[in-house]
Amino acid sequence: MSTDRKIRVLVAKPGLDGHDRGARVIAYGLRDAGFEVIYTGLRQSPEQIAREAIQEDVDAVGLSILSGAHMALTGRVLELLREQGAEDIPVLVGGLIPEEDQQALRKMGVAGVFTAGTPIGEVAEFIASHVVVA
Amino acid sequence: MERTRKEIERAEASWKEEVVEPRVARFKIPASPTRFYTPASQRDFDFLEKVGFPGQYPFTAGNHAFEAWRAYAEAGARLGVRPDYGASSAGRYGGYGTAEDYRDYLRAMQQRGSRGGPNVAFDLVTQCGFDSDSPNALGEVGRVGVAIDTYRDFRVIYEAFTGERDIDQVASNFTINAPCAIILAMLAALAEERGIPLAKLRGTPQNDILKEFIARGTYIYPPRESMRLFRDTLVFCRRHMPRMNVNSIGGYHIREAGATREQDLAFSLANGIAYLKEGVEAGLEIDDFASKFTFNAFGGSMQVYHEIAFQRAARRMWARIVKERFGATDPHAMMVRQPIGAHVGCTSTTLQRPLNNIARSVIGGMACGMSGGSMPAAYPPYDEPLGLGHSQESIQLQLDATRIMIYEAGISDVADPWAGSYFMESLTDEIESAAAEEVDRIESMGGAVGAIENGYMPRAVAQSAYERQKRVEQMEDFVVGVNCFTGENELDLSLNRGVEKLYDPEHLRSAEERQLAKLAAVKRERSQGDVSRSLRALEQSAKDPEASVMPALIDCVKSEATLQEMCDVMRGVFGEAEPTKL
Repeated sequence: MSTDRKIRVLVAKPGLDGHDRGARVIAYGLRDAGFEVIYTGLRQSPEQIAREAIQEDVDAVGLSILSGAHMALTGRVLELLREQGAEDIPVLVGGLIPEEDQQALRKMGVAGVFTAGTPIGEVAEFIASHVVVA
Repeated sequence: MERTRKEIERAEASWKEEVVEPRVARFKIPASPTRFYTPASQRDFDFLEKVGFPGQYPFTAGNHAFEAWRAYAEAGARLGVRPDYGASSAGRYGGYGTAEDYRDYLRAMQQRGSRGGPNVAFDLVTQCGFDSDSPNALGEVGRVGVAIDTYRDFRVIYEAFTGERDIDQVASNFTINAPCAIILAMLAALAEERGIPLAKLRGTPQNDILKEFIARGTYIYPPRESMRLFRDTLVFCRRHMPRMNVNSIGGYHIREAGATREQDLAFSLANGIAYLKEGVEAGLEIDDFASKFTFNAFGGSMQVYHEIAFQRAARRMWARIVKERFGATDPHAMMVRQPIGAHVGCTSTTLQRPLNNIARSVIGGMACGMSGGSMPAAYPPYDEPLGLGHSQESIQLQLDATRIMIYEAGISDVADPWAGSYFMESLTDEIESAAAEEVDRIESMGGAVGAIENGYMPRAVAQSAYERQKRVEQMEDFVVGVNCFTGENELDLSLNRGVEKLYDPEHLRSAEERQLAKLAAVKRERSQGDVSRSLRALEQSAKDPEASVMPALIDCVKSEATLQEMCDVMRGVFGEAEPTKL
């Protein structure tokens, strides 16, 4: 990992779920861990998230979903990134994700799934190890 | 008394020197890990002013001499009546899939003895003012609640409520905020269709839009415009549905989003004050409408003592605000009415070793039962963090835990058992003064609306959530099975868990498709002319700040305009709220 510039992470709340405690805590935590963090705010469409990820040239995208809509929304974000040639951006999912869906998300192409009780340091290390900074 | 205080203070000083300090030295720790309270801990404690009697101002010791449920507790046990516990006369909170799915669920619950009305969870699409066919609805249709696109959906839910369960016989609860006026309009239309006078309807809409900007996030319009809609629902309820509660002001959600106890209390009271002001400015009598305000379960931590003090402080502060600031004279207008009291909150439950959540919810139930009148409700069920939908097993355990506290432990045999405790009265005072200071800060920003517009309240909550996370990670706060006692010798226990069949993933997957087909049918079959006319009238009334949108909304509902069509008209007039950033 290069030290030339900070790792940029987009923390995003896709869909209509308003539970943003986790997203905000992760955003603050990653920022304190030395990352550059962009937080989208609530209610972003997969299109908005993919666009912002590409425009902001982020190194990783973290999606926070607690409404149960994680399969559909994550699938759509991955699809849009792929369509725009940005499939190399690792996508992480956090939230209320049942065990069986965690497997399915990984199969879909999600780099990592994090549920309640995960220390922020663990997420930070995971991102750092998955990001290839040019 | 003064002489006694001095004596106690002297005795305390020598106790510290002779007993505490040597022990602290012996264990080689920096300070005593425990505290001890004496009569000297409280300055100027006036029992009648600060506590009083249960059922009397300032209601520190409880709203009533004893609660209604307590009057019949023994009779209930002898008869074996299975209560719809936790939600007064409305049924258990639920809802998912299509209106047909939810109606069938309600009928199944009725077969099992449920007697309450619908206590409706709406899906996020509905709560955010969209239709199921909107691109914004992706993945969310029927997910966290039932999908309501048009009056036709609403009517289907109530097919489970006829005859002795007709809508004037049961209470209806609606967990909805931004589109609350539309749901109330649907209820009014249904009553009219069934020939039931609006005046006989009972229930509680959540209708607490301000906390949506601080926690939970299902806002649509900017805060000020949202308050206009609140005013219209308030005035409509008082004029036409006098038995309906007006709102359920959420302390609970704010805490779950990360607020400290004092922030939770202060922000909820500040929101409550803003709603009271709307009513006064609309020309309503404080005694008339404040008695129809309710609160949604203040609570949300494992700190038993603090949660009890919090409940006591909340009752006293609200009573004083309503009486002293707003001039109420009716005691009912001064009470914090909430379905349950203290509880540990869902964020205190852990995904790790989830059966431990039973112990946690019992501790919350103890706090609740000792905080002044509330049922010692064990909440939430242990499988809360495992995904949407509680299992029947977890609900049974939760009910039994509550019963054990009531019937075996006798938790509810004394009203406000901590009244007069040197410790509890000091703690109640501390929480009250910290919250009062915070209320003043918010008032100096122009009240709750101002403190939302400038981002203060939402940011303060997020910052507190982060502070808590840091304390857990640095092991200043301990969570068993999460940041401590996680070694390989610990056992992870599990239990058979049958999730409600209707929460079945396969069934949920088809809900979106079924809902979309219904919505398409409505759009085909309704009179487009009627819809356009009713929406134009809605726009006119929304544009006139002195008018109420309620009559126009009722016409829109009857014309089978969709929820999003109505919300879009109001988006055009009121604008849309911007999400807060970091």
